[in-house]
Amino acid sequence: MNIDVQIIDGPLAAQPTLPQVEHAGAITCFDGIVRPTENNRPLHALDYEAYEPMASRMLRDLAQKLIDEFNLLAVHVQHSRGRVPVGTCSFRLIIASRHRKEGLAAADAFIDRLKQDVPIWKTPVYADAEGEER
Amino acid sequence: MTIDVLLFGPAAQAAKTNRLPVPVPDQPIAIADLRTRLAQAAPALQTFLSASRFAVNHALVDDQHTVTSADEVALIAMVSGG
Repeated sequence: MNIDVQIIDGPLAAQPTLPQVEHAGAITCFDGIVRPTENNRPLHALDYEAYEPMASRMLRDLAQKLIDEFNLLAVHVQHSRGRVPVGTCSFRLIIASRHRKEGLAAADAFIDRLKQDVPIWKTPVYADAEGEER
Repeated sequence: MTIDVLLFGPAAQAAKTNRLPVPVPDQPIAIADLRTRLAQAAPALQTFLSASRFAVNHALVDDQHTVTSADEVALIAMVSGG
């Protein structure tokens, strides 16, 4: 299928499964990894919250817009929900395109619009937060 | 009467709830009016409201859109996915 959107509990698989897409000359894969610090404080994890089914629907709509805009062949998206420890993957975007330029440009555009519009929130869980929930 | 507004992320933390009943004098009520009444019901949300949008039944709406207590209303503020 040319669009696949999944909201997955916990961290995503460490390695992506790249799709076989007919006519593709480029597969662009972006992994978002939880950084070890946030606001200059050591981090234990990020807690993700998604407003479903709106979040999945908006991700699908966004994927379709970018397919149309950049003439892409396929867009696959995975986003975590719940707790994602430092160093693990919380977001994965795989774009199949005929050429590299439109795939790379579309990946940048997708992530910008995701951060602006899609109802998903992250809350930092700090490693140095004594007495706070972990 | 009240209209429940769903809250998420930083807004839910500020209001200390993920579902806030907002008193309204009448319904349907425009989102613009609901925004004002939400700020009155939860002053801690005031800083979020100017830059936030509302979703009604899982679709983003503008300030002229009207809602009733039968609708699912959510405050979409400070999203941070990715």
